Amino acid sequence: MKTLIVIREQEYAWLRDMLPGVHPLLVPVCNKPFIEFFIDFSIFTGSKAIRIISDGLLGEVERYCENGSRWGVEISYGSMQPADELPTVIDKNRRFCLEERVLIIKGFLFIHYDKKRDYTTLFASLPSGELLSCCHGSITLTGTVKPESSSADIPFSLTALDTVGKYYSLCMEILRSELTNYVIPGYSSEADCYIGRNVVIPKSAEIKKPVIIGNNVQLLANTVIDTNSVIGNNVIVDRESIISGSIVMDNTYIGEHLEVKNKIAAGNLLIDPESGTSIVMEDPHLLTGMTQSRAAGTLLRRMVHALAATFMILVLLWPYLLLRPVLGLQGKWKRVRETYYNDLPGKTVTLTKTTIDSDEPLGQLAKTLSLDRFTLLFRVLSGKLALIGYHPVPINPALRIIPNNTTGYTPAVFSYAEAEDWPEIGIDTEIVEHYYAVHGNPLKDIAMTQKALFNRNH
Amino acid sequence: MNISEKTINNYKVLSLRGMLNASSAPALKTCVAGFPDEQSIVIDLENVDFLDSSGLGALVGIARKKKASKAIMKLARMNERVKKVFEITQAHTLFDIYDDVSAAADA
Repeated sequence: MKTLIVIREQEYAWLRDMLPGVHPLLVPVCNKPFIEFFIDFSIFTGSKAIRIISDGLLGEVERYCENGSRWGVEISYGSMQPADELPTVIDKNRRFCLEERVLIIKGFLFIHYDKKRDYTTLFASLPSGELLSCCHGSITLTGTVKPESSSADIPFSLTALDTVGKYYSLCMEILRSELTNYVIPGYSSEADCYIGRNVVIPKSAEIKKPVIIGNNVQLLANTVIDTNSVIGNNVIVDRESIISGSIVMDNTYIGEHLEVKNKIAAGNLLIDPESGTSIVMEDPHLLTGMTQSRAAGTLLRRMVHALAATFMILVLLWPYLLLRPVLGLQGKWKRVRETYYNDLPGKTVTLTKTTIDSDEPLGQLAKTLSLDRFTLLFRVLSGKLALIGYHPVPINPALRIIPNNTTGYTPAVFSYAEAEDWPEIGIDTEIVEHYYAVHGNPLKDIAMTQKALFNRNH
Repeated sequence: MNISEKTINNYKVLSLRGMLNASSAPALKTCVAGFPDEQSIVIDLENVDFLDSSGLGALVGIARKKKASKAIMKLARMNERVKKVFEITQAHTLFDIYDDVSAAADA
């Protein structure tokens, strides 16, 4: 038996808006990443190989699940086009699907199963075809086998996940009545209570079942974790706060003297699952996200960029001071202010972009010297821009995908696409930018900046 | 880089072996340019050891030209190294990618 998991980005896009920092397939359901429920279920059905197919990015999922050796299965990954129907997806993965029974899980849905049941024998004898479906997906078996049991008594059910309300309800449902059906992370010395590693609980704190608490959690004095609460990993609940019927996502700080009731707290976001509305808490003493500091490699890269930008400022200063006023008076120096995505999720940067009419020698000279980018070089010194990286993406999701969902997006003065002389059309530009964001290094960045300076004028 | 060529159904199947980079990308472009514009192709990437931005650029360029000519270009049998580059650059969204050459040429 093998399992093919087919999930379209469109089906989980709503979750990206709710929790922008986490891949939707890794969003925790009762502190267990969503994709792990699929993996567990596949293993219970007797699958030895699992293939995850999506038209979206799977990099984060791949980094988390790797090759599946952690679960004793072989996990591979594949891509599809958004318009591909299931038969096309199967065709594109014909080698994987050949000669074996394949369980196909299609859609962003939750499978309610019970780990105590014997699914291996059941799935080996079930007839091919669609076993179960709901509004957003289905479970199908392919491959021939002599049917021994009918699909009428299938001991699992599906829940489509398409709103934050359903996500919350699902977590609460599991917490109240299905905890023993799944492998839930954490130590459980008594029923309905799972507690992770490195959890600090003072004597004055009160915890009421059912509850799940993740790893590296610190509860301070007189906190109350009331019934039906899920506390994620790396969470601090400050003094005398009450968490009740709520989900606190990973890396969240809950300030002191707060009562979080029937809500989802994620970083500095407080979400009401019933209405779907969310509030961004500006006061870090109330609610905030806890982020890791930048890696040393990033800092080195920024330092090299800053040094190179300083050098360029010194070289271009006099030409800028001489040409800028002249071109300005001639009306050939045009400036537009626009807001762009920053490299941090949810953050923006406002830049003044300059265009120079280069129909006569002075304009041509200014363009050749890249004086239109001169003022942006100062943003490199302040750390707002990189010297070379991505074309800054305007805040207009219709133009390109939201860069915060991709790895390595750093708005820059010059772009890798300019250096490689790639045409600036749609996704083509992003391809080369993504390539160098991952494969680049500080020295290569200097060489690419030189190439960009040359290529953008030739 | 070696390029071997065969025909399956109505598709020209190009099997690449070696590195697809700045020095070898022109050879691939020349090879594809030798076919009629409307010729659909499958590029088998199983034996590509290394793919850089220039190689990607060549594949994207070929795909654009084939699309403009209403022809089809498919990729097949990506190995892990190549798949990784497609994943990080998100180039996989531009192509139909198959895990089997005959499946690509059948469809």
